[in-house]
Amino acid sequence: MSLLKAEDITVRDGGTTLLAPLSLSLEPGEPLVVLGETGSGKSLMAQALMGTLPPELQATGHVALGNRELNAGDPDRFRGLWGREIGVLPQEPWLSLDPLMRVDRQVAEAHALVRGLSRRDALARASVDLDALGLSGAGASYPHQLSGGMAQRVAIAAARAGGARIVIADEPTKGLDAARRDDVANLLLTEMGETGGILVITHDLALARRIGGRLIVLRAGAVVERGTTREIFAAPRAAYTKELFAADPENWTPRRQRAATGATVIGAKDLSVARAGRTLFSGLSFEILAGGILGVTGPSGCGKSSLGDALLGLVAPAQGTVARTPEAHPFAFQKLYQDPVAAFPRKRSLGKTLQDMQGLIKGQQPKIETLLDALGLDPRLLARRPGAVSGGELQRFALLRILLRQPRFVFADEPTSRLDPITQAKVIELFVRTAVQDNVALMLVSHDPALIRNTGDAVLSLDPASPPVGGELAETTPAASFGVS
Amino acid sequence: MTALAARLVQAAMVAVLIGIATFVMMRSLPGDAAWRIAAGRYGYDNVDAAAADAVRAELGLGGPVLPALLQWFGDLLRLDFGNSLVTGQPVMEEIAHQLGASVSLALVAVVLSLLIGPPLGILAGLRPGGVLDRALLVVSTGLKAVPQFLMALVLIVVIAVQMRWLPAAGHGELRHFVLPALTLALGLAAVNARIARDAMARIAGMPFWSFAQWKGLSERQVLFRHGLRNISVPLLTYLGLQFVTLVEGVIIVESIFGWPGIGHALVHAIFSRDVPMVQGTALVLGLGFVLVNAAIDFAVRRIDPRQAT
Repeated sequence: MSLLKAEDITVRDGGTTLLAPLSLSLEPGEPLVVLGETGSGKSLMAQALMGTLPPELQATGHVALGNRELNAGDPDRFRGLWGREIGVLPQEPWLSLDPLMRVDRQVAEAHALVRGLSRRDALARASVDLDALGLSGAGASYPHQLSGGMAQRVAIAAARAGGARIVIADEPTKGLDAARRDDVANLLLTEMGETGGILVITHDLALARRIGGRLIVLRAGAVVERGTTREIFAAPRAAYTKELFAADPENWTPRRQRAATGATVIGAKDLSVARAGRTLFSGLSFEILAGGILGVTGPSGCGKSSLGDALLGLVAPAQGTVARTPEAHPFAFQKLYQDPVAAFPRKRSLGKTLQDMQGLIKGQQPKIETLLDALGLDPRLLARRPGAVSGGELQRFALLRILLRQPRFVFADEPTSRLDPITQAKVIELFVRTAVQDNVALMLVSHDPALIRNTGDAVLSLDPASPPVGGELAETTPAASFGVS
Repeated sequence: MTALAARLVQAAMVAVLIGIATFVMMRSLPGDAAWRIAAGRYGYDNVDAAAADAVRAELGLGGPVLPALLQWFGDLLRLDFGNSLVTGQPVMEEIAHQLGASVSLALVAVVLSLLIGPPLGILAGLRPGGVLDRALLVVSTGLKAVPQFLMALVLIVVIAVQMRWLPAAGHGELRHFVLPALTLALGLAAVNARIARDAMARIAGMPFWSFAQWKGLSERQVLFRHGLRNISVPLLTYLGLQFVTLVEGVIIVESIFGWPGIGHALVHAIFSRDVPMVQGTALVLGLGFVLVNAAIDFAVRRIDPRQAT
């Protein structure tokens, strides 16, 4: 007997169909993964199943839960299911817990208010739940005292405390590194057990593979392929699925080793950086030559961004020195931000923003048209505002804006972490080609080790867990164009 | 602990600055201080040059400035605020008497404002852009724009004079509280409501708000368990700042409604150049400001553990 059966779920915005009729069923003990890039309609599908679609969108279709039959067009009826039948694991667990309430109480309140336990029994149950998730003794903490992983475990306990057997997890690994991603997958599988059901919505191939079960691949609101996860990963049939798998950094062709050319643009000697009194890394020395790419990876919080900021002179090093080539103008050292949307003025057309930039530059500068062409951007996009172009296009515009400055060094801080895999592959490919062609030294930071391994001339891993002394270099692969000591 | 020490230092600095400022200001006021003091003692009709000279000689008013100021600080260290130049009573006694009346008026006003402003603000913030939200914006902006003396006069004219529901002035009975407290409360509530509205709208957009609903809690349970506590932090913080508005308001409102409080006394002390009274009153108000803010700091730290670090 299926835990949940959805038939012909459709989402429309007036006359536009955002999600074509989709049917699915959720079986006990068998996870269901919905894989798709941003805009594929995967989140809309989850929202339609929960009755949380924005009011301007209309859903049709039927959802059967046990012996209950619900109409997706009547979202108010779904409210009674929340917590009792369907639990939701939120995207950002840290922000999903009340910052002013002790975490055991946030779990206990669902036991008390939804299941009707007494206050004392509810607290006792919450403490049992937290113990089972390896959070013994953390019940009296406030969310800000927990790590992201602990917060996620509290969130899953709270989501299920009302008795929900079905858990919907929408992008549960957003912004997490590889190790944490596997933890989340294990946690979800354990929580499901033999009798529960989980529906995982993600763009993360590694997570989908790890969760297993059955898989639905969505693109532009329509099902591309469905089957068991194992079979699809072994032999994808649809062209889009093949393209999606090829875009996975794990499957990229590694860079060829190149001979060292050009002069040193930027370097560090015996560098230590501390933030808020804590040493992030120490004794780091390297140099990047013109046209060379240094890839930096490591878990979140290890100091990847701080290293880049130290190179740019935005953070003073605790020890050691940073040497930037003296003949270059200070503006020739640039940073490419993680979130392109936040890096552009919202209410100004992209063309105007670029013209503003041109006005600031004295002397010769490259032509916008030439750069648009080189980055594969349609000149008509110049008339649009940042919100009206895709994330991949906007990140290329961010690069274009930097190239107007004729940079010698670019620090790209997770430039593709907000992009879907296919766009990510294209954008990284473009970045690398541009850097090599224009002889720009590039420092590319990513939490994805595979991406870095297959892109950089050298790989610098800042993992404080592996070396014996906190923060020293864990793994370096010296490449021809520069050395890392 | 360091927070407490910082507050003590702040209190000491407030005392020094207020002492110097009030002293300098009182000395630089135009007119003959001896005449004013004599008028305060004996009434305007009974003052002549001889009485003024007698006062001048008695109080040594012609003397140099600096020793007088140092004398006051010396007395302050011994917790001696001196005697009123007009009544001859110790300043401490006079202030202690008036402070009670002011504090009770201010407390009633704050409670009243909290009963009016935040509930409306929360309802408006739950539906941003709705009818209530837009109406509240107009009303609160309007109320905030009305100076308190005008508000007091309007209330007196409409409620006391036209409708004859409540007395226009006086002290001692419960009904005497209504108009002065309402005058103060409306000004405070106009801002309270906006703070509560913005906090509510912000919190209702946070992931933890949706998550609490997804756990299965009802709208009301989410508001009472996760909304109010989060709203109270900005509201309390702002209450500390509103204390300034409240002190200003108390001085005006007490004068208009004839309320025998510290604000009323301050105005009279300035008129009759009663320097020790002015200094003592201003000092109590200044230290009150430090005390109220320290209490609010403490309360906010209790509610929001993130601020303790």
